[in-house]
Amino acid sequence: MKKSNKNLLLVIFLGIVVCLPFLLDDYWLHVAILTLFYVIMASSWNLLAGYTGQVSFAHAAFAAIGAYISGILSVQMSISPLITLLFGSVIAAIFGLGLGLLCLKMGGIYLSLTTLGFSEIVHIIIKNEYEITRGTMGLEVPNLLGFYSKTAYFYIMLLVTFIIIFFLAKLIKSDHGLKFKSVLNDELAASSIGIDTVKVRVIAFTISSAIAGFAGGLYGHYLLLITPEMSSLSQMFMILAMTIIGGMGTLSGPIAGAVFLQVLSEYIRIFGKFHLLLFGVISLLVIKFAPGGIVGLYRKITQSKTDPLKIETQSKYDY
Amino acid sequence: MSSLFVNIFNGIVIGTIYALSALGISLILGAMNVMNFAHGEFYIFGAYFSYFFSRSLGFSPLIAILLSLGLIFWIGFLVEKTLIHSTYGNLMDSLIITFILSIVLQNIALIIFGPYPKKPPSWIIGSINVLDLFYYSSQRLITFIVAVLLLILFFIVMNKTWFGKIVRAISADREVASLMGINCDKVNSFSFGFGVALAGVAGAIISPIFGVTPMGGVGIGLTSVVVVVLGGMGSFKGCVIGGLLLGIIENIGVAYISSGYRNIFGFIILILILLFRPSGLFGTTIK
Amino acid sequence: MLKKRFFSIFISLVITMLLISSISIMAQEETIKIGVVGPRTGPAAATGVAFEEGIELALDYINTTKGGILGKKVEVIFEDTGGVPEKAASAIEKLITRDKVSIVVGESHSSCALAEIEIANRYEVPFIIAEAWVDEVTSKGYKWIFRAGPCNSGVVDNIIQWIVAEDFKKIMIVAENTDWGLGIKKLSEEGLQKEGIPYNSIITAVESQEYYTELNKIIDYAPDLILAYIYGFGVHDFIAQANEVGLSPANALILEGAGPPSLWPEFWENVGEAGELECFVSAMHSKVELTEVAKRFREDYAKKFNREPTDYKSRSIYNVLLIAADAIERAGSADGEEIVKALEETELEVASGVVKFGLEPGTVKYHQWQPPMLIIQWQNREQVVVFPKEAATGELKRGK
Repeated sequence: MKKSNKNLLLVIFLGIVVCLPFLLDDYWLHVAILTLFYVIMASSWNLLAGYTGQVSFAHAAFAAIGAYISGILSVQMSISPLITLLFGSVIAAIFGLGLGLLCLKMGGIYLSLTTLGFSEIVHIIIKNEYEITRGTMGLEVPNLLGFYSKTAYFYIMLLVTFIIIFFLAKLIKSDHGLKFKSVLNDELAASSIGIDTVKVRVIAFTISSAIAGFAGGLYGHYLLLITPEMSSLSQMFMILAMTIIGGMGTLSGPIAGAVFLQVLSEYIRIFGKFHLLLFGVISLLVIKFAPGGIVGLYRKITQSKTDPLKIETQSKYDY
Repeated sequence: MSSLFVNIFNGIVIGTIYALSALGISLILGAMNVMNFAHGEFYIFGAYFSYFFSRSLGFSPLIAILLSLGLIFWIGFLVEKTLIHSTYGNLMDSLIITFILSIVLQNIALIIFGPYPKKPPSWIIGSINVLDLFYYSSQRLITFIVAVLLLILFFIVMNKTWFGKIVRAISADREVASLMGINCDKVNSFSFGFGVALAGVAGAIISPIFGVTPMGGVGIGLTSVVVVVLGGMGSFKGCVIGGLLLGIIENIGVAYISSGYRNIFGFIILILILLFRPSGLFGTTIK
Repeated sequence: MLKKRFFSIFISLVITMLLISSISIMAQEETIKIGVVGPRTGPAAATGVAFEEGIELALDYINTTKGGILGKKVEVIFEDTGGVPEKAASAIEKLITRDKVSIVVGESHSSCALAEIEIANRYEVPFIIAEAWVDEVTSKGYKWIFRAGPCNSGVVDNIIQWIVAEDFKKIMIVAENTDWGLGIKKLSEEGLQKEGIPYNSIITAVESQEYYTELNKIIDYAPDLILAYIYGFGVHDFIAQANEVGLSPANALILEGAGPPSLWPEFWENVGEAGELECFVSAMHSKVELTEVAKRFREDYAKKFNREPTDYKSRSIYNVLLIAADAIERAGSADGEEIVKALEETELEVASGVVKFGLEPGTVKYHQWQPPMLIIQWQNREQVVVFPKEAATGELKRGK
């Protein structure tokens, strides 16, 4: 019964999401597209922070790298964005690999600081290399499809999001995923049973950078304008807040967090001044009182209905 | 030639402020194993309070600074009790929490004090001709002297007083310290208050020169982190030398490489240090 | 198990999103809606405050004094851009598609404006820019975009004319590394080159509060005029520090190229005596009233807020709201095409002069109205207009 129940929910869910362009007006469709971008960003950051315990502050910077590489190539060489998008992602992955290797010897706090430094360097370079990046003015880039259609873009974003979430889910459940988790929970123990913690970390770092670069490119070719703001710390804060509020270290957490914060910020638009403050306070409250985030809360509420053994293994919030 | 002198001299003055602020981070990191990302925000609040007391309430600069120092200490104490306390031993948690805290504090500052820059009155006006080489602001010189005095005071507190000894004992080995009957919890709240008060006082004394804005803490917070890593985590001596070094490098870099890239030099140093000498100039690696 | 939970969470979120969005569609009133975009948060939040003041005064005038337009009240919806182009694009998109405004006005960041004009043009909704100076806003030649405010090349023309008139010999350009700073720097360099006046330029980091090294470079170059294209509090630091390192008005005057920072309430607190003889570009002067509307604006402002207007951006937004209301009234409807037609025929007195948009396509003057920009000098803490000559209230002082 449970199996069919799950499938039914899955079908309803997919149905609703696929129908969104017919249910929402232009503006909400725009919000939905941006939300999907944040879903990808938060989910891939979560792979790092939530599953391998590497709190990277360079995730937004990787998205910016992907967006700028793709944007610059498509503008200056007039290559189709469909191709440059992949270039952007590959370059972001190469940077991710490089940074991951850089941090080989260090763990924890050093990685966070190095990524922070990297992110600031990217931000400053984008701002200063006016001739190439157009500085704070922003780089105007062509549309991904060559024509403007929100509906089409929504479906592209949706498809990419599904593929990435599916991939992340498979990865986390795979052999690699187990390794990730064991690195997270006890690095020493993990290395003593023969898991190459360094390799696991670097792999996770490279994968998440590639995803961020790809998402950044998609985002840029949708907004048609890329600015240094993409690599700013407040952008990074949004990704972090979404993951934490949704529930770090769970697959659905970043999705729930991204949707929640994006929709919430639309509803409190009039209180524009207080947005970041509010998100910050919510995040602090979540960490303090509901460290599992939205997903954790949901689990708590439905705990009685589910198999207690399963909860035991999943509710561990530690990184 | 005179411009080289002025650049180095200026680097030293700015560097002492960096050192003062970075000592706070280093103290908190050493004593509590907490990475305080919101340090720059305590710095701006120190400046805002001293602005408020001196400009709005008309107190003399010295009293204004002492009052804001006390206030920042107390706020730090409370923040430690409510937010930081639960993250002991988990650097990542503290990093995330203080990162969020920094965003919250920036926005509180924006709402309370508004977006305009605020500047407490100068203690002294005019400038001095230094060795017939260049003119230098008297306010900066006095700030420099005060900062040096504060640095000396800090080292006296850490080396000669009961509090300093306990903090050093905890930094060296938390478990042994608690076995010896030290109440780590109490010391922690105290150290956090003390650490952020250092940032606060740095902000308060520098604000007559640069003024303060809600987002002004980001730069100094990041710079302080760079100084701590450069000097070596946990080393107070390293903080002072790292601060001075960074101050000088930044000024020379701006003068001879590119002024648009003023803020990048610190981060390049950060990455180089982490790569080739993660323990910094004088420190030991923290796990 | 995991999947089930995950999907039901998602579904409930999606459903809430749908429900709430449908509710807000239902609320509708009979008003004429004008959208405003501008930074209410972020580093330039001061502009947001100035805009809010200007909007209040404009609405008081349009709705109370004039009794609305076309028999309806005007409603203003002010969306925050945070000074960030992506957010700005979202903001104007929201105003157009969700709030269904008839026209959008405002903006003070060039980078945001460039993002917004693309969207206004795509949705074919008229958009009058108040304070984004970058030339491309109008030189792109978009039919739906107007600007009733300064453009960089207009401001630079003004400055160069002044430089020639006052016979400055050697110019130092100091520009922050933003779109505005770098753009206006380039135009100034071209202008000076054309006039054959020697110059040098330095770029500074936008977050910088420390200018000693730059200032010592300036001392080495020994100019007699410094064009400071630094926005915000940075320029206060620049002026104060120039005095500290021994750059006095006797060696070189400073012209601040943005305007509002020299008028902010904290200016004198921050710069002290170093502010004496500083020059700045401004559309507004404390004593000179170019039109009747300017007088009305000042009186209304003083009555409402119990102080003198300082940031001229409150008046800029007031102006564009009046222009928008006038155009809608003449168009006789909220139809975009009609409004654009009416805008092109605008001849309206606002606080900074009589608005008339240029109609030469393909140039920066297309759909552009440049208000007269004054060059003002602080003399004994009084604003003295020193250029253009026809508006001057005093002579330029060089210091001794």
